[in-house]
Amino acid sequence: MTGATEPGAADPDRPGGTAGLTLESIRAATGAEAVWCPDTAVPVAGVVAADLMSDVLVDARPGFVLVTGLVNVQVIRTAAIADLAAVVFARGKAVPPEVVDLARQMRVPIFASRESLFGAAGRLYAALGVGPAEPGRRRQA
Amino acid sequence: MKDAEFVRAYEIVGADFTNAGRASTSIKETLKDMGLASALIRRVAIAAFEAEMNTVMYARRATMTLHVTPAEVTIDVRDEGPGIPDIQLAMQEGYSTATAAMREMGFGAGMGLPNIKRNTDELAITSEVQRGTTLVMKVHLN
Repeated sequence: MTGATEPGAADPDRPGGTAGLTLESIRAATGAEAVWCPDTAVPVAGVVAADLMSDVLVDARPGFVLVTGLVNVQVIRTAAIADLAAVVFARGKAVPPEVVDLARQMRVPIFASRESLFGAAGRLYAALGVGPAEPGRRRQA
Repeated sequence: MKDAEFVRAYEIVGADFTNAGRASTSIKETLKDMGLASALIRRVAIAAFEAEMNTVMYARRATMTLHVTPAEVTIDVRDEGPGIPDIQLAMQEGYSTATAAMREMGFGAGMGLPNIKRNTDELAITSEVQRGTTLVMKVHLN
């Protein structure tokens, strides 16, 4: 991980890659607890790690999971607006009730991991074989 | 043609971070109900959300209006606020006048206006310092 935001796209051709990657794979790799998740079999298209939601709105693609150290309602709203598959809150931070309520209302699955943001993103990168975005370039919409 | 038009206005209150994003979420749901393509809805929703967050962060209040015709989706945001002294500078990726409090909310990376431009087919910005800013964003349906 070289920056605040590192989108990793699904790469089904890579050995051990993200074909069949689901929310359960994400939960297991980050050692996370499911705070609200009605279906862990939901497929995942990739991962983005960031604390700035402005960056998430630029870099994430539909079906991505957001890993973040930021815990507030705006994370949920950002995930819903950007069609993300789920949010993993890192750093063992407590998830406030208003965040859980909004996640349930907006149907955004959320997980809580004790890993640091760096650690959670690194575990996902290593264990799930996601391919990094081309260095130095942001995705065009 | 007039029967096919849809207009809805939303009031946005400055510094109200608790409700920030509700208007954009409602716009997204409305466009879903209309049966528009999900990729197109996502572009409109992201542009609207960025504009809404800018309003909440910088302006006192704003009216955001959704206007849908068979040809395009238009969202205009008219705010009462400090205005943008140099629009060209504000359009540069990474340029930001955000405070630490705004960044703690996860915004203010200097990507808002550039990301609005990226997700829309047309963007017009007019601004008067100490009066306010108007954004008109269009996404073509065909």
